[in-house]
Amino acid sequence: MELGERLFFEPRLSPSGKVLCATCHVPYRGWQDGRARAFGLAEADRNTQSLLNVRYQRWFGWDGAGDSLWAQSVRPMLDLREMGGSQAQAAALVRGDAELACRFEKVFGTPPPAADEAVLAGIGKALAAFQETLVSGRSPFDDFRDALSRGDFSSMKKYPEAAQRGLRIFVGRGNCSSCHVGPAFSNGEFHDTGVPFFIKGGADAGRHGGIRKLEANPFNLLGAYNDDRSGVSAIKTRQVDLQHRNFGEFKVPSLRNVAQTAPYMHNGSLATLAGVVRHYSEIDPDRLHSDGEALLKPLRLTTAESADLVAFLESLTETASALAPRRPSAACR
Amino acid sequence: MRSLAAGAIFCVALGALAAELPIFDAHLHYSHDAWDTVPPQEAIAILRKAGLKRALISSSGDDGQQRLYALAPDLVIPELRPYRSRGEISSWFRDESVIPYLEDRLKRHRYAGLGEFHLYGADADLPVPRRMVQLARQHKLFLHAHSDIDAIERLFRQWPEARILWAHSGFDRPEKVREMLRKHKNLWCDLAFRTDQARGGKVDPDWRAAFLEFPDRFMVGTDSFTPERWHYIGEHANWSRQWLADLPKDVSERIAWENGETLFGGLQAQ
Repeated sequence: MELGERLFFEPRLSPSGKVLCATCHVPYRGWQDGRARAFGLAEADRNTQSLLNVRYQRWFGWDGAGDSLWAQSVRPMLDLREMGGSQAQAAALVRGDAELACRFEKVFGTPPPAADEAVLAGIGKALAAFQETLVSGRSPFDDFRDALSRGDFSSMKKYPEAAQRGLRIFVGRGNCSSCHVGPAFSNGEFHDTGVPFFIKGGADAGRHGGIRKLEANPFNLLGAYNDDRSGVSAIKTRQVDLQHRNFGEFKVPSLRNVAQTAPYMHNGSLATLAGVVRHYSEIDPDRLHSDGEALLKPLRLTTAESADLVAFLESLTETASALAPRRPSAACR
Repeated sequence: MRSLAAGAIFCVALGALAAELPIFDAHLHYSHDAWDTVPPQEAIAILRKAGLKRALISSSGDDGQQRLYALAPDLVIPELRPYRSRGEISSWFRDESVIPYLEDRLKRHRYAGLGEFHLYGADADLPVPRRMVQLARQHKLFLHAHSDIDAIERLFRQWPEARILWAHSGFDRPEKVREMLRKHKNLWCDLAFRTDQARGGKVDPDWRAAFLEFPDRFMVGTDSFTPERWHYIGEHANWSRQWLADLPKDVSERIAWENGETLFGGLQAQ
């Protein structure tokens, strides 16, 4: 975990020496960057997602091109618009830096190997170990839910009435909870929610492109670097099926801490939560295939109902961080 | 390593096939929201780059595919939808203003068919669809129906000699599709927006039986129901070439382009 934390804040992973993981995943911005689209060495096509609770995800990235957090952690290092690095450069850094090499050996039991690809896999796994520590704190909704389950009406009253009305829409006629379900408020799957997905020079293939990348990735869970010898973790990767509908689908994001992660949608095209609610309230069903996303219908919410839904969404945001303060670690020996 | 090498050879072989096999795309739309985001010149360039021999295109409203037809009459085969905007998908069959719209367009332009339209069950017997079928009969046009079996049967009852292209093969199972093809000799099927016919380049056994029993009755199609999907046409053509390569050559060529050319290519010859 300490190796991963060092690498997360290591600018030398980018040949530019100017871009690190934390450039886009900024700790004090909810581990995202507040921009519509990520900007490392150049502007990318998609919004930076928060890393809080990333350990609970099944697929990683808006397109699910990563089937593990460690494989996903490798991707930005090699993307020319993000960190612009290479296997050789990242591996040379770990081999050549005494502190990193020492920590690598402590974690993996051997010094950084000669094969660049194997070192990169190790870097990804260390980064994943660090990111798995990033979890969100309790939210007003959590307090309300727990009070409700123990019948504590006095505590329940502390939860704003507007948020309660918004919750009713969220799990009721809004159908929001059909996809935003479970502890992280995401089913972890991919949908076309009618958000335009043009990018410069074409269209963002979304999940379709993600599956193509997943299949071609030597770091996927079917590959040689998966530590799970049972094969169980790779079942999802073996079963994934490329479909026409995947073109333009993007992952359902978690709603935990959503008030801290503006702007929204895969391309950051909606600046506020009110804008997101308006999108679903006025969604254009013509943008969806008639045999596709049957759940999505214009909600036609009133102004007051929209405000209630926003109040509920805001109540999913932590009141205090669950993360321990970062402390400098001792040198590796 | 050996499997990687074999995979590379397979990919090279598929690449060669992709370069050789023309595609007749029987299910494209170029609707109002695409005209600015994918301008006509760019749209035609996409079709040519994808290696399409021809494309059956409709739009909501009709001006879209007319613009494409004017630019590339060798490539574009126009269809007329009963929609002036895509928002009419679920209302057109009760909207009497659709008929004068169709009549006006039919006076001014040539078409291969009416569609793709969405029509289910007893709605097919409403006055507007009935009049549309009469227009198809009068102008000797195909009907391109996104319909369930019930609506297809009702259309055939209205006009037993109708020629119907069944969009998405009704999203029905291959056994039901075969039943329908046996029953109606003037029924053809497009495979747009379906992936169940093949996985990883291998044709599903039930679909294989359908293709081998009716090699003259199927066509492929992309279904560009949003403007972004114009950028999927090339990908779809290559995906189609991949699974078609798993069929006997004469069957794959018929489904890839010959059936479309036989049924609709005549418009270019007129």
